[in-house]
Amino acid sequence: MSETHIEIGDIHWLMDILQNIDVGLVVLDREYNIHVWNGFMESHSAISPQKAKGQNLFKLFEEIPEAWFRQKSEPVFQLKTRTFTIWEQRPYLFRFKNSRPITGRTALMFQNTSIIPLESLDRQVNHICVIIYDVTDIAVSRADVKNANKTLTDIQSKDPLTGLWNRAGWEPQLVQQFNECQAAGNECSLVTFDLDNFRTYNGHYGHQQGDQVLSNIGKLLEKAVGLRLSARLGGEVFGLLLPGQNGEQAKAMAEKLRRAVLLLNSGNADDNIPKITASFGVASLAKDTHSAHEWLQCADKALYHAKESGRNQTTLYQHRPN
Amino acid sequence: MSAAHEILNEDQRDCYQELTNVAMGQAADRLARLLDAYVVLPIPRVNIIECSDLHMAIQDAETDSAVSAVCQGFIGSGIAGEALLLFNDTSFADLAKLMSYTGPLTRQAELELLMDVSSILIGACTHGIGEQLEIHFTQGHPVVLGQHCKVDDILKSGNQQWQRTLAIEIHYTIEHVNIECDLLLLFTEDSVARLNQKIDFLLD
Amino acid sequence: MTINVLICDDSSFARKQMARAIPSGWDVEVHFACDGVEGVEAISKGLGEVVFLDLTMPNLDGYGVLETIRQRDLPAMVIVVSGDIQPDAQERVRKLGAMAFIKKPIDADKARQVLVEYGIMTEA
Repeated sequence: MSETHIEIGDIHWLMDILQNIDVGLVVLDREYNIHVWNGFMESHSAISPQKAKGQNLFKLFEEIPEAWFRQKSEPVFQLKTRTFTIWEQRPYLFRFKNSRPITGRTALMFQNTSIIPLESLDRQVNHICVIIYDVTDIAVSRADVKNANKTLTDIQSKDPLTGLWNRAGWEPQLVQQFNECQAAGNECSLVTFDLDNFRTYNGHYGHQQGDQVLSNIGKLLEKAVGLRLSARLGGEVFGLLLPGQNGEQAKAMAEKLRRAVLLLNSGNADDNIPKITASFGVASLAKDTHSAHEWLQCADKALYHAKESGRNQTTLYQHRPN
Repeated sequence: MSAAHEILNEDQRDCYQELTNVAMGQAADRLARLLDAYVVLPIPRVNIIECSDLHMAIQDAETDSAVSAVCQGFIGSGIAGEALLLFNDTSFADLAKLMSYTGPLTRQAELELLMDVSSILIGACTHGIGEQLEIHFTQGHPVVLGQHCKVDDILKSGNQQWQRTLAIEIHYTIEHVNIECDLLLLFTEDSVARLNQKIDFLLD
Repeated sequence: MTINVLICDDSSFARKQMARAIPSGWDVEVHFACDGVEGVEAISKGLGEVVFLDLTMPNLDGYGVLETIRQRDLPAMVIVVSGDIQPDAQERVRKLGAMAFIKKPIDADKARQVLVEYGIMTEA
């Protein structure tokens, strides 16, 4: 340790610094009574040093859990180690208001603290110093980054019009279902469908109306199986996963959806314009399906068959028997 | 670009190992007292590691085992670095028992436990090394690098503004229970020259 | 009579430090071993009447050496010099027959104190 040459004038300055520094300084004795209470603490607590000195910390600040704080501090007294608390583990020690009460984004101050041992002349640690840092801005920024990242992820993987997954976002779901069901030997089916006559419809009624149809289909799927398993795979192509359902059950679901799509046409009076219908391809997961990609291909083949067979119908993929 | 062995000769490596041995012994002593258990002390590994090989600093790390990690910077006498504590996620249950923690093991609770252990291990190790080299280290605040992450992700994160680091790895385990963690002390490249100076002085 | 002193530690740095800490003026011949196996060998040759023993070593650690000494009833007064200072370690080491335990880093004063305390060396 370097020798410090202290004069009376220096002590004055040191006291000034302790008083005005923009961190909280609290010195506690073995009984957790307050010995030092600096300007930062006074300002934020509205408790003067005169009032604070000699008071027990826990009596004065009920928000500090006594057992927890004692457990943290005992090693500081006994082992002369310093310890820390960070805002991630406990947002604050002292319940102070945000130091920017008007523009601040949270009501309360987030705090990091250091607890350091203070050696007496007999080399025992009879006092500890708690240093309190205002880290509200850091905490708020971190939360902002987290939210921004979530939004970015959503933008990358969701279809903005329908709220369903887009192809990129849905693929992990597909792969996960494939892996889980193959591993557990559970049933699962995949349905893909493509709207018939959609371009004509759009051409006649306009894109806004077309978008409305797509949006309604999104709602249909949300109601039928939920957002987690549904996707808009292309302009007018959709997909959905049906865990726990075999081919026949999935085909029945597809038929239900097909009829629901038909109903979306009511209110369009012009009989010259072909109605919007949908062609469905259904594929159950077979034991010898080697990949999620292969599974999707089966569904697509079935969908193609439905289209070729006159549209507005459902085809179930026939796996070759083992 | 000089090769690693040119930066660290065998005598220096041996010296770092011994310094670490003493420091981690002090840390283990503190931890042992806190947990009332016996801490198994390994032989510390000392290496110069390239930035891209940071994951190699951890012995036997299954890079997709789940860990929770805390780091803390330290600086003093022209020597700077970071201590990283990687705590194996499966260790929390036994750690809670040893610390007589009876509540549910939420992420919050795990973070508390992690903070307590890292305070002791990081604090004592940094202090121990500092004491032997007669350096007073100032420590930064601990920062949570991640909870329930893969080792690879933890070590890949960060700006990697540096190319090489002196890495000292200590793999702590506790007897009879499933608790294991890795403490990595990483010194900046320009600290190494200064450290070696101090070491050479001791080696005379 | 010249006493044979063995310094058993895997770190060459630690061996040097230990050697430097041995009080001058003490009539000894100092030998070195890099791990427990070499250490036991040296002791059985009579080169380790007084042993300064590290605990964490490869091949055979300090505990292993102590056990071997006990089993084979080798003539050695063992002073453990270790960085592993946790309460259990000191306990185990004493149970295994070590005479004393010194915390690393060692210095000349500590070494002298222990040697005098256990009567291995008389104050000059």
